[in-house]
Amino acid sequence: MASLRLIASAARRAPSTIAIARRGYAEASDKIKLSMALPHQSIYNSTDVVQVNICAATGDMGILANHVPSVEPLRPGVVEVVESSGSKKWFVSGGFATVHPNNTLTINAVEAAPLEDFSPEAIRTNLQEALRVANGNGNEEDKLEARIEADVYESLQHALGSH
Amino acid sequence: MSSTQWRNVFTFNKYSQITAQAVRSSLKETQRLAAEKRGFTALRYQKWENGKGGEQVILVPEAESGSKKMAAV
Repeated sequence: MASLRLIASAARRAPSTIAIARRGYAEASDKIKLSMALPHQSIYNSTDVVQVNICAATGDMGILANHVPSVEPLRPGVVEVVESSGSKKWFVSGGFATVHPNNTLTINAVEAAPLEDFSPEAIRTNLQEALRVANGNGNEEDKLEARIEADVYESLQHALGSH
Repeated sequence: MSSTQWRNVFTFNKYSQITAQAVRSSLKETQRLAAEKRGFTALRYQKWENGKGGEQVILVPEAESGSKKMAAV
């Protein structure tokens, strides 16, 4: 009995846990600041957007306001930016998406373009060429490079076909 | 070789450049012409020894003919 009271009083005297900001879900009206930049062009510059869907290497993700800070490598794929006025899709060649603790999202990519800027014929030709090299008799490095390119073209075809 | 094994062969930068070039070459005519310029890299180097510069070597990407151009300047 005495030991129980000792423990209880010790617990009362122990410092209360430091108040940690509680994370919750985003409201429909909350926005996140998006900056999307390529080496040669700044596509979005701290623009308030509602949601950003990214093609992370580990899978597709939707980023809303107040997302937990994270760093995600991107695979070649589609980044969709949803603003209050509508949504726009971009195909990125790869890069990184970083969510900062102050409700900002930065996407860095080497190359990106809106889906309507791509030519399905060019992709088809490129894919045929890449598959030919990848399955051919060249050295391993060239074949692997062609394999990587073929994956990008297939991803592009999928993005253009289903959007 | 599956493309997930590129890390055994290429650096991340090289992989990035490969995918970027693939995206550039898939654009429509007008955008592609502007974009292809971004993929162009030319290099000129010169080796220095004992305070003397050696021959300047210019490397340009392989043209259709396939041979690397080397020129002393």
